[in-house]
Amino acid sequence: MTGFSPTILAFCCNWCSYAGADLAGVSRLQMPPNVHVVRVMCSASVKPEYVLKAISQGVDGVLVLGCHIGDCHYMTGNHRTAKRMPIVQKVLEEVGIDERRLRLDWVSASEGEKFQKVVVDFVDEITKLGPNPMREVKF
Amino acid sequence: MKLAFEEQGADYLLIMREEHGNVAPAMIANGESADGVRLDIPYQLVTILENIYPWLSKGKIAIITRRCDEKALAELVKRKYVDDKRIVKIGLACSEEQIRKCRCNDPVPSTVAVGEPHAGVKDDELALALSKKSSEDRLNFWVDQYKKCNKCFGCTLNCPVCFCDDDCVLEDRTFVAEPSVPPGLSFHMIRSFHMADKCIECGECERACPAEIPILTMRKLLAKDMKAVFGFTPGDEKTVSPLNTTLEGEQLEDECDES
Repeated sequence: MTGFSPTILAFCCNWCSYAGADLAGVSRLQMPPNVHVVRVMCSASVKPEYVLKAISQGVDGVLVLGCHIGDCHYMTGNHRTAKRMPIVQKVLEEVGIDERRLRLDWVSASEGEKFQKVVVDFVDEITKLGPNPMREVKF
Repeated sequence: MKLAFEEQGADYLLIMREEHGNVAPAMIANGESADGVRLDIPYQLVTILENIYPWLSKGKIAIITRRCDEKALAELVKRKYVDDKRIVKIGLACSEEQIRKCRCNDPVPSTVAVGEPHAGVKDDELALALSKKSSEDRLNFWVDQYKKCNKCFGCTLNCPVCFCDDDCVLEDRTFVAEPSVPPGLSFHMIRSFHMADKCIECGECERACPAEIPILTMRKLLAKDMKAVFGFTPGDEKTVSPLNTTLEGEQLEDECDES
């Protein structure tokens, strides 16, 4: 895998994961620079459309991060995400894109280290999977 | 149809009718002549019902329902688009040829008023073949199919459970990045996701598609996944779609006005 460095889009919820990412940065934890963080108000406001659009446009991996179940600032926001994302993964799988290109995880505001771990793991996995096949496809 | 008006007390009947050599959906009021009624043309009359329902404030509407129409109505009733009490269902059993064309495994309506019931077809062959392929081959297959799409929106317009009339995300540049024709993979993936928890496998999208993309096969594959993940099958009258509930199964409140 020489030379391939994946492009990864991370949707972080404002209340937990973005603060977690902030903490990871402030604590100077080393992370691969492939991740582009997008701050959203809640993981449930990550419409599946955004994820599917990103992947069909050639983004190698999408990471959706939210508060732990039960900790959502909007009470049941992450319940929705937890139910939607498996179906989005199935859509990807049926079309023929590896479902591991989308990952849903929970990172709270105090878990800077977990944020680092999730990012490192995900970048490793996507590097192993290789580039998104949609990069080559021209409609 | 005497059955609808005299026995069930309906005021209107929604049916397919032949006029000047063309068959189209027609609304017949009680007492009007019902010449040229055709029952052998498959079309989801629920789609028409859903469009005219807001303009009919009173009266009972009788509608010819195949099994898929019944399921579509169940989905609409659950989402409170139509009132169950105002609908009279007249069950119509599909012919063998129609069943084969839809690869339908559940073709018999709850009450058969017209036609003879036939058994369903067990599996969709294309779906089976696709699930055995590697993901690369599958992607190639679907990309080849979707390249034929000319974005006519036939699949959404004729779908009985596509009800976001003017707010369809598929018409929005924010979500579907490719404004060109063919519309790219995101268009089809987004539609697949939207239909995952309500597609009742009537096959109207495939019949409407001028490019003959096997859309129904994709829906069947996702229905299988939906069942595997949540144990939910669209068209069930009692259970609400898991995407509309919290983890504990409580119903979510709607923050957008859908009426």
